[in-house]
Amino acid sequence: MPNERAAKLAELVKSAVEYGPEHWPAFLDEECRFDPALRAEVESLLSHQKHANRFIETPAVHLAAKILIPDRELEPEETVGDYKILSLIGSGGMGDVYLAEDRQLHREVALKIVRRGMDTDALIRRFQREEQILASLNHPNIARLYGGAFTTEGLPYFVMEYVDGPPFDQYCRDKQLSINECLVLFQKVCAAVTYAHQRLVIHRDIKPSNIRVTAEGEPKLLDFGIAKLLDSAISPTGEQVVVTLLTAMTPEYASPEQVRGETMTTSSDVYSLGVVLYKLLTGLSPYRTKTNRPDEIARAITDQNPERPSTTIAKSKSDSPDHPQSGPRRTGDLRNSKWLRGDLDNIILMAIRKEPSRRYESAAQFSADIQRHLDGLPVVARKDTFTYRASKFIRRHRVAVAAAFLILLSLVGGIIATIWQAQAARHEKAKAEDVKNALVRMLNHSNPIAFSPQNNGQKTVKEILDESAKQLENGEFSNQPEIKVELEQIIAECYFGEGDYALGSKYTEEYLDLHRKLYGKNDIKTLAASEWRAFMLFDEGKLTESETDYRKILPLLRNEKRKGNIKAENLADVLNIFGALRRTQGDSKEAELSFRESLALSSQIPKESLYVIGPTRSTLASTLADQGRFEEALQTAREAVAEYRQREETGTPNFSFTLTVLGGFLTEKGDYAEADTTLHEAEAIQRKSLNPSSLWLGDNLRNQAISYYQQGRFAESLSKVTEALKIYRESFGPYYDNYPTAMIINGLILAKTGSPREGEKILREAVKIRTESLPKEHYWVALANSALGECLTIQKRYHEAEPLLLNSYEALKISQGADNPRTTIALQRLFNLYKAWNKPDQAAPYRALLPAPTPPNGASSTM
Amino acid sequence: MGMNESWATIETKSEATQILEQWSEGDKDAPARLMPVVYKELRRRAAEYLRHERTDHTLQATALVHEAYLKLVDQSRANWKGRAHFCSIAAQLMRRILVQHAREHNREKRGGKWEKIYLDETKELGQERPPDLVALDDALQSFASSYPRESEVVELKFFGGMKTNEIAQTLGVSDKTVLRDWSFAKLWLHRELT
Repeated sequence: MPNERAAKLAELVKSAVEYGPEHWPAFLDEECRFDPALRAEVESLLSHQKHANRFIETPAVHLAAKILIPDRELEPEETVGDYKILSLIGSGGMGDVYLAEDRQLHREVALKIVRRGMDTDALIRRFQREEQILASLNHPNIARLYGGAFTTEGLPYFVMEYVDGPPFDQYCRDKQLSINECLVLFQKVCAAVTYAHQRLVIHRDIKPSNIRVTAEGEPKLLDFGIAKLLDSAISPTGEQVVVTLLTAMTPEYASPEQVRGETMTTSSDVYSLGVVLYKLLTGLSPYRTKTNRPDEIARAITDQNPERPSTTIAKSKSDSPDHPQSGPRRTGDLRNSKWLRGDLDNIILMAIRKEPSRRYESAAQFSADIQRHLDGLPVVARKDTFTYRASKFIRRHRVAVAAAFLILLSLVGGIIATIWQAQAARHEKAKAEDVKNALVRMLNHSNPIAFSPQNNGQKTVKEILDESAKQLENGEFSNQPEIKVELEQIIAECYFGEGDYALGSKYTEEYLDLHRKLYGKNDIKTLAASEWRAFMLFDEGKLTESETDYRKILPLLRNEKRKGNIKAENLADVLNIFGALRRTQGDSKEAELSFRESLALSSQIPKESLYVIGPTRSTLASTLADQGRFEEALQTAREAVAEYRQREETGTPNFSFTLTVLGGFLTEKGDYAEADTTLHEAEAIQRKSLNPSSLWLGDNLRNQAISYYQQGRFAESLSKVTEALKIYRESFGPYYDNYPTAMIINGLILAKTGSPREGEKILREAVKIRTESLPKEHYWVALANSALGECLTIQKRYHEAEPLLLNSYEALKISQGADNPRTTIALQRLFNLYKAWNKPDQAAPYRALLPAPTPPNGASSTM
Repeated sequence: MGMNESWATIETKSEATQILEQWSEGDKDAPARLMPVVYKELRRRAAEYLRHERTDHTLQATALVHEAYLKLVDQSRANWKGRAHFCSIAAQLMRRILVQHAREHNREKRGGKWEKIYLDETKELGQERPPDLVALDDALQSFASSYPRESEVVELKFFGGMKTNEIAQTLGVSDKTVLRDWSFAKLWLHRELT
């Protein structure tokens, strides 16, 4: 029997809960008048009411049901659906794999039965949804997924092509393949990954044991996309995701973003491929950890800098002479590390960069670079030119300083190798910090006295740069001019990155001078250096000076091209930049010619380098639109999309860019349904293949916002434009070309949904940015003014609106032509003004000019 | 196959009913004999449940004990006392299975196997962090020394997955009493566990 006091306590608490908290004080005053201890006890229990709300409310039966049916191994001869179990061939974090016989088709298959506990509702739903997509992957180097079903105990299982062969790394060892033979085999794996990526399937768990090599020597990738299915078995609470990922996945091959539980993209697969190659060639992981604990490995993946593969080999040789033969055949370790030093080092390190955006854009490019290495051609990875250029192309105002450190790598080798990537650098600040650290280390090694460890922390990037520059001036590398010249370029780039254009230019000049002295005025290296300076001037915003330089350089480059001294893709690259420069300067006609010249070179560019002119046709389309040649622009954009589809290069970021441009034109034309479909296709690719703050994704969202806006779907438009603006702010800032356009939509939506004052503020800001950064007759300035005019019309401030709307209409008529949709928008707004103002006489002539009926919602474009 | 199963069911049906009757008549060994019979049926129901969960959601997780009871016991010979006995056996069994499972997991954890133990998907146990089942079991034991009925409510509801009216029937009290007991037990256990 419970004692009396305990019973009294229970009684009071139960009643108090029934009465509700507002009655507690009075109730307890009365009931516990003479017993403060009891009252304290009651209150202590009641204080838990808020937090105990959901506590043990959901019965544990679901879990119990699962425990009641434990996993068990299937016995040979047992049947699962149409399959007869032959033997257990593997066991992993997600479940067991059996060799089985398909009794219908009389072939051997692999059955992968998902472990109990992994079979959550979310998994089941995703399993059913994705099974078909995965089953449609049909490539000679991908093990087929035939389908999936449930066991009688309700566990999902996959039926897959059975690949009888050793894991990739073991095969290379057993067959004693040379490095080049390994690379060729590896390229087949890259091709399979590329194929899947084009169909928007990410592997997510690439590792040697998932790559099997058949008796015919064909590598086959297993478990494509399966990891994603299993991912959903994990609850969405942060820590658990990471932890479970680590137990389910093989952390050694996981990318930093995967370890952090962030969005995985196709780039994550590129990373894992890089680690596979690293380990294959060196026999060791890129990271050094004391134990094999997954958490320690995970930390190393996010924080540690990978060692250069060649250094790893050299070390493993000296550390442990008895180190087991884990890499491919070595005819002497030294030669092997020599082989790796240089191109292969750079290629692998580029694939496993911490930031997805700085890796190879695709598995295909990774493979192409390996091909260039095999062919003895210069590789892309060496100087990071393409990535650098590609980002500059759209991020003209910010230099990715860290990129320059690739050059450092090739110079100082092993010493710096471990530093340059010292980052989970998603922010410029972090990058700057890395640059600083790398320079500190570099200087430390070359001059140990100058920097003692205790004042390392106090130096600013600028100070370090100054020190480095001084070292150069003091003749530090004067007997090694080739190194000096590279260092000058780094230092110049760093100054540009820091925003110090004066010093940046100074070192650029010195760098160019030294080139002339070293190689002579007419050497190609000197020419390339001049081109680099011209590019820096463009970056700095000295457009006219840049233009002058390019006008000198281009004929020389064309000449070298004719003589066969430079390749078509090199010339195309420069022509693209010159086109971009001229377009920025407002000369769309010459920009067009430059892009056309670049495109004409395409037949001479080998397939693996075609990405150089990837976005060129779309940019050409925009240039045509700039000139008011709208129909041609639309046609060109369609051609660009068709080209990609024909080459089966869908699924790449470049393709998504092309779609985004086309979607923009379709919106302007008023074909909203097709525009939305096109833009959604692009978004699907971008969400998978780009990081979430990519400018290309931002542009797509902005175009969608415009389309929705024009359809009068303001809420949807606002949500798209808000995300676009966020992306622009995070990854570029207000001087990105499309930032003001996004602001204009934002402002107009506010104006039309009851907050015209706020809208006006944003629109004025947009006008300001446009006016400051462009020539005043540029059509973008006119469009911004026209939008502001509309906002003022809404506020009935007709006198202020009139001049804005009149002037912008006239300007657009001249630059875009009277029939251009952009001009029509301005015209419509002008008409709306006079109508609202009640001035029918002034409205009449404009009404006559308007094309047939006004759009139903009266919405107008913003572009 | 169909024949065999129906024979087996009839056989166990009479068996379980018989044991329950013997229990009502004061047979002290009856619970120990009933345990394996109930366990077997619960497993069968669980498999059924997991299979159905995939296609439709006709079978509720919470109905497990109830379904097992209907399957095992001849309803024409059933009485409330037999039902109470059956349900408390089933809920006890569930509790044992779950706590045992959690203990094994914790042991593995201490053994250095680096793996986070999450006892169940958060969906199952509400938004709050799922309770540590071993600690809950301990707390429930000490709670039972002062509040035996309240602790049985918890066992039937949380471990047995039974509804309020089923618990009321089983314990022979009103629905309101079950609800009052439950709210008190929750506060008490929550305080004990935090």
